[in-house]
Amino acid sequence: MGMIVDQDIAEARDQFLNQDFDEKTFVIPAEKTIEYARLCGETAARFLDPAHPDFQAPPTFVASLSGSRALPENFPRFGLGMDAGKGVECFLPVRPGTTITGRTHLHDIYSKTGRSGRMVFAVSRIEFFDAAGQHLANADSRVVMREKS
Amino acid sequence: MSLAHRRPLWQFCPAHCIQLFLHFVGVLVLLDLHTHSIKSDDGRAKVENYCQWIRSKNLPLDGFVLTEHRQFDNESDYSALAEKFDLCILKASEVETEYGHVLVYGVTPALQEAFDFASIALPLAKVIEACNAHGAVAVPCHPGRPRVGMFAHTDELGVPEGVNIVEIYNGGSRDQEDQIAIDNATRLNYQGVGGSDSHIVSHVGRCATRFDDQIESMDDLVAALKAGKFEAVSLKGTV
Repeated sequence: MGMIVDQDIAEARDQFLNQDFDEKTFVIPAEKTIEYARLCGETAARFLDPAHPDFQAPPTFVASLSGSRALPENFPRFGLGMDAGKGVECFLPVRPGTTITGRTHLHDIYSKTGRSGRMVFAVSRIEFFDAAGQHLANADSRVVMREKS
Repeated sequence: MSLAHRRPLWQFCPAHCIQLFLHFVGVLVLLDLHTHSIKSDDGRAKVENYCQWIRSKNLPLDGFVLTEHRQFDNESDYSALAEKFDLCILKASEVETEYGHVLVYGVTPALQEAFDFASIALPLAKVIEACNAHGAVAVPCHPGRPRVGMFAHTDELGVPEGVNIVEIYNGGSRDQEDQIAIDNATRLNYQGVGGSDSHIVSHVGRCATRFDDQIESMDDLVAALKAGKFEAVSLKGTV
């Protein structure tokens, strides 16, 4: 491995972090959220029954929504990218039958070293808002790029 | 902290028999010096689940040290869990240098100001110098591992100054990695510690370090490491 540098990570963080690079609207059909809930094994009526007074999409549903692009334009190619996991933060319920807006930014860029050398992680965060502008949820997608050696 | 943990003798599994044997030959404390919780980006173990696993499996551990990657966890307070499960739970760090990964025991606010724990390109000399200045101990971990182990770099970079202890038993080691660590530690007259490097609960306790003195705080641990009063233990295949 020799001498490691992480100056490029610092530069990428300076250039790309916390800047929206994508915006997309999502129609949330009830049949889709119900199917998602059913496939997840949900049994609670609020996820399965449109007549329920608190009918809503399951909390992790937003992780199934993806923006138009995963990384900003001109983002450096550190290496081959692979899915490194998803994460969800929920603030308010996502209501089926509504249209929500997702705005994407890079939330984190970091690196680590392992047996296979340096790996660079980029965390894209989609922030979801309802028509009133209320922040409903965040969905993080983590990509790991194993550096070409 | 009692080794027997107030359990009737008939509840002891073979691993606990090892613990009792060690107790009778003079061992007071057995600690896993290298674990990761969900505070690390690749950790999947909650600290409470480590405690539950240790107790439910009757592992011969008296405690463990959380060595989160590239950070020190200033936020978490595990004293209630430590009391509930009668375990010693301490916090340290695993940082990344040009010689590979290094465990740092005795992290203080001043030490956190001395270098950037998040960097993957720390100069080992700077880490050791800062540890010495702030009463901490730096221990290169899995030193026999390619790329992230110290002995993978000594041919190219030379033997670093100031290393006294290395991790010779690591629960995540493959092939000959531990043997490379042991051979080089013997050659360079380093002392050895053991840790599981667990990222999931079922790996905790695979390797550990036994101490002749009671360890109840990070100060105790640092003092015991500096005094050289410890021995690495591999429990692979028994826990």
